[in-house]
Amino acid sequence: MEIYLPIAEISTNVFLLLGLGGAIGFLSGMFGVGGGFLMTPLLIFLGVPPTVAVGTGTNLIVAASVSGMMAHWRRGNVDFRMGALLFSGGIGGSWLGVWLFKALREAGQIDLVISLFYVVFLTVVGSLMGAESVRAALRRNTSRRRKAHQHNWFHGLPFKLRFRRSKLYVSALPPIVVGFLMGLLAAFMGVGGGFIMIPVMIYLIGMPTSVVVGTSLFGIVVVSTVSSFAHAVQNHNVDIILALLLAVGAVIGAQYGSRFSQRIKGEYLRGLLAVMVLAVGGRLLYGLVARPEDLYSATLMVMR
Amino acid sequence: MAGAMLVLFGALMGAPMNVSLGAGNEPLVVDLLPQRIEIDSSFSGSTVILFGVKTVPGDIIVTLRGPEAPVVVRRKRRVAGIWINRDSVAFRDVPQYYALAASRPVEELMNVQELNRNQIGSDHILLNTIWTRTMEEVDNFREAVRRGRMTEDLYAPEIGEIVIIDDSLFRATLTLPANVPTGEYVAETILVRDGEILSRREAHLTVEKSGISAEIYDFAKGQGALYGLIAIAAALLAGWAGGVAFRKN
Repeated sequence: MEIYLPIAEISTNVFLLLGLGGAIGFLSGMFGVGGGFLMTPLLIFLGVPPTVAVGTGTNLIVAASVSGMMAHWRRGNVDFRMGALLFSGGIGGSWLGVWLFKALREAGQIDLVISLFYVVFLTVVGSLMGAESVRAALRRNTSRRRKAHQHNWFHGLPFKLRFRRSKLYVSALPPIVVGFLMGLLAAFMGVGGGFIMIPVMIYLIGMPTSVVVGTSLFGIVVVSTVSSFAHAVQNHNVDIILALLLAVGAVIGAQYGSRFSQRIKGEYLRGLLAVMVLAVGGRLLYGLVARPEDLYSATLMVMR
Repeated sequence: MAGAMLVLFGALMGAPMNVSLGAGNEPLVVDLLPQRIEIDSSFSGSTVILFGVKTVPGDIIVTLRGPEAPVVVRRKRRVAGIWINRDSVAFRDVPQYYALAASRPVEELMNVQELNRNQIGSDHILLNTIWTRTMEEVDNFREAVRRGRMTEDLYAPEIGEIVIIDDSLFRATLTLPANVPTGEYVAETILVRDGEILSRREAHLTVEKSGISAEIYDFAKGQGALYGLIAIAAALLAGWAGGVAFRKN
């Protein structure tokens, strides 16, 4: 069954989109990642214009993260003061990111920049994940425990605030900066940015693990919401039909993914994901270095 | 459709007589069918038929031009191993669609200067630059405009046929592909004899999107903020509903 996507302006098969959403949802449920960083490149391979893939991605992440966030909220695992700082940084990052996105689009460089961001980013994440899973597989039982509350240079920063839920007294600056970076990433790549936020929260800010996932999901939802809105206003590149079809698949897929993950060893899962991430990154890199069929490309001038 | 054509033919057969009764003895009368094309989610291309009557001997050339828009052509260059858009040339008023039909090869009907002046044939469309940011020949970029439109089937690669019946009634069939841009189209019919244009007539065609996808598109472009809010609300609802549905299981 073919459906015409009004903003992407292409016709695609409905079941292909549901299946793609389901597959990404399955992966995100299995690996506990957002899946946005695989979704955007796959949509591009499918023929969706890169700008629409990114704008729609921000919207999809809202749908994919909200139920998880609410579950954590009910259990009291969201540090709202931290979330508010992430949010305020995220607003700035999103609007700056979307503004840059628009400027690059007008300059005809946005497709290149999206691909470059993804190549760098998928290669780094894939390599780290691969290395980590190999290391973990080699020595399964020797897990080191980190001290609950380490002090580092982050704790010397000014504008300290008390975070009751996280049992912390730290500077307000790191959460704002992290939110800002997440906003930039969301705007440019259509990803949530949990894979960056979670390590920063644990290792740099020193938040207790119990509130990290809930707070990061809260951050992802609010930052993706802002980015999605900014893209809709500035670039008109959010395809609501595409987002909803993918979301339906993703929500269902995630349930099966999380059930399936309990049957496989974690390090094998991460190794598998690393291979996939590197493969997608490699495909995008090939698109950048291979000689294009036609060196010239004609596009309608973007109206200001 | 067939019935409508018959009616139209009948009307056109009567047309020269009516015209000759009028003030000016029109050498050329044309009409277009249909005059409006709606693109819905199942649209897979269409044809338009231009009917006409000429009262004097001569050949017929028909051009159909789509809406015009500025176009930027970019040329990729290899920088540090990566192909990057570097040089660019912008062209003013590029027709987004172009098709030509003629009763004889146009080169036999007019010389190159006349073809250029009247923009007959996709090689003769006027492409004026807005700005040039390259050291290369601008003609390479001009050629890329035509090549780009042709690979998208928006510039018809072949010249359409014109059937002339009894040296007075004629018919040209022009094809619009599935990806035809929306907007106002102008069909121009030219009556030529001995390299000279005896008469010309314009007919108009509107191509527009219709149905739910058109409404979504217009809404997204026109009311970005409201559309953005609705898209977010839909995403929140879908995610929340999914979570609730699976919690019960």
